[in-house]
Amino acid sequence: MPMVLLSCDKDIPEREKHIYLKVDGEDSRDFLPVSNAQTIPGTLSERGCAFCGAKLVIGGVLKDTIQMIHGPMGCAYDTWHTKRYPTDNGHFNMKYVWSTDMKESHIVFGGEKRLEKSINEAFDEMPDIKRMIVYTTCPTALIGDDIKPVCKKVMSERPDVDIFTVECPGFAGVSQSKGHHVLNIGWINEKVGTLEKNITSDYTMNFIGDFNIQGDTQLLQQYWDRLGIQVISHFTGNGTYDDLRCMQQAQLNVVNCARSSGYIANELKKQYGIPRLDIDSWGFSYMAEGIRKICAFFGIEDRGEALIADETAKWKPKLDWYKERLKGARMAIWTGGPRLWHWTKSVEDDLGIQVVAMSSKFGHQEDFEKVIARGQAGTYYIDDGNELEFFEIIDLVKPDVIFTGPRVGELVKKLHIPYVNGHGYHNGPYMGFEGFVNLARDTYNAVHNPLLKLAATDIRGGQRKVFLEAAE
Amino acid sequence: MSQQQIDQLFGYVQERCLWQFHSRSWDRQENIDGIISTATDLLHGQQPKKHAPMDRMFYADAKAMVDDLKVRFPWILDLEPTRVTELMAGLKSKLVDQTITQSLNRELHDKLY
Repeated sequence: MPMVLLSCDKDIPEREKHIYLKVDGEDSRDFLPVSNAQTIPGTLSERGCAFCGAKLVIGGVLKDTIQMIHGPMGCAYDTWHTKRYPTDNGHFNMKYVWSTDMKESHIVFGGEKRLEKSINEAFDEMPDIKRMIVYTTCPTALIGDDIKPVCKKVMSERPDVDIFTVECPGFAGVSQSKGHHVLNIGWINEKVGTLEKNITSDYTMNFIGDFNIQGDTQLLQQYWDRLGIQVISHFTGNGTYDDLRCMQQAQLNVVNCARSSGYIANELKKQYGIPRLDIDSWGFSYMAEGIRKICAFFGIEDRGEALIADETAKWKPKLDWYKERLKGARMAIWTGGPRLWHWTKSVEDDLGIQVVAMSSKFGHQEDFEKVIARGQAGTYYIDDGNELEFFEIIDLVKPDVIFTGPRVGELVKKLHIPYVNGHGYHNGPYMGFEGFVNLARDTYNAVHNPLLKLAATDIRGGQRKVFLEAAE
Repeated sequence: MSQQQIDQLFGYVQERCLWQFHSRSWDRQENIDGIISTATDLLHGQQPKKHAPMDRMFYADAKAMVDDLKVRFPWILDLEPTRVTELMAGLKSKLVDQTITQSLNRELHDKLY
């Protein structure tokens, strides 16, 4: 079975190159969805913008950094707080949102003076904060505001502050993915190697591509502490600006999200000779394997085995309780990209769940190579899925639960299908041993919750006048 | 050693190992070369090199894989050393073919990351 043209796509046949149904005997040498390509006109894409990929996903996670959005208010608010990445210093990053609040007159006459004023105001209002990232947005990039000289001027006047600039307006790429790329490459070129920190362990690593969603980083940090490994920098969960300037000091780069953060790991290998070790942090089997690999690198295998034994004894019975009750459940995963390949085998092996459809907003072909290798035959693999396709795929595969974001989640809720927040989680963390029990619990509660089915009942029976949906 | 045995190992690596899917062709080649070579040493009962950081990284990935292979495919323990060498060479060849030579990934040969 080659690529699939769904009925709803009959007027945009280009979509056929983006949807694959795997059958036995085929692999990604035969068919690989087109991805990281421009959204096809006529499709109701779920993608975000390039600026969002830099700010919401990576930069905005930092716990000690002002995120100055040089643009209209909406660009700031719409990339704030929806990701739920707490910090251990009181969630500074989630309490405040900063914007230059560009209006028509600033667009007409230029916004550089307004940016300089906003930067100074922010530092004056928050005298304890000395670090900032400044982002351009579509309008300020279009009018040619040159933000680097503005930031250099402020830094020359305020020698105790440091500012990083991300020039990645929304239109810079086809999706969020471009923003990940721009921030990664900008940071390695401008900030890595500009600071050194105190080394306290013989074993040091950067943990890259984990954003402390509902405490993922903090949960995993307990493991690294018990193993005696010093994490030089977290890119960027619960992380600090200055720690990320010291990434060159680590002996090993451990990568979880290869899509958003593989670039900086590749550059750290190229420029500093630090190896890149990719692991999966979701799922019992994967997490144990990741810990074993990290410990093998450092020659501390015994510590790793002790940790795995402790955690397994503590959490495996609980996982098995859920597995017994989730066996055979059908799941769809419609998230950004990497969670497709991180999750498909872990929910299958650890929870007995069958993944029947997966859609990626911003994955590249590398991500589809991974997920087609790991995923089952009979499963749909979709790039940049649109809303009508989601409806049609639901009819085809009949999922019991859908892991996706709140927007698509609201959509499927109307069909009385439960969804679990696959981006910000329902009740995380989901990483690590304890985290995967949390994921199992949220999945169980979603699949077996009777409320959604009850919500479909109507005491008026057939007397209720039903309005046709526009799509029908 | 048979094609079927190579296919079993290949299926395992495809499903389990992220190192075969790094971003660029040269990264994939470096990982496949280093990890398969180290895994072959381990299957021969030899101590692999662990001096340079990249050697230790290859060892970390290879050790996890070899430990798993011994459990999932216990027949591997009964193979003659020459057969082990042939088996791993066959696996390496198939991985290179799948993930580099015949890969449809259009970003694989970009010069920059």
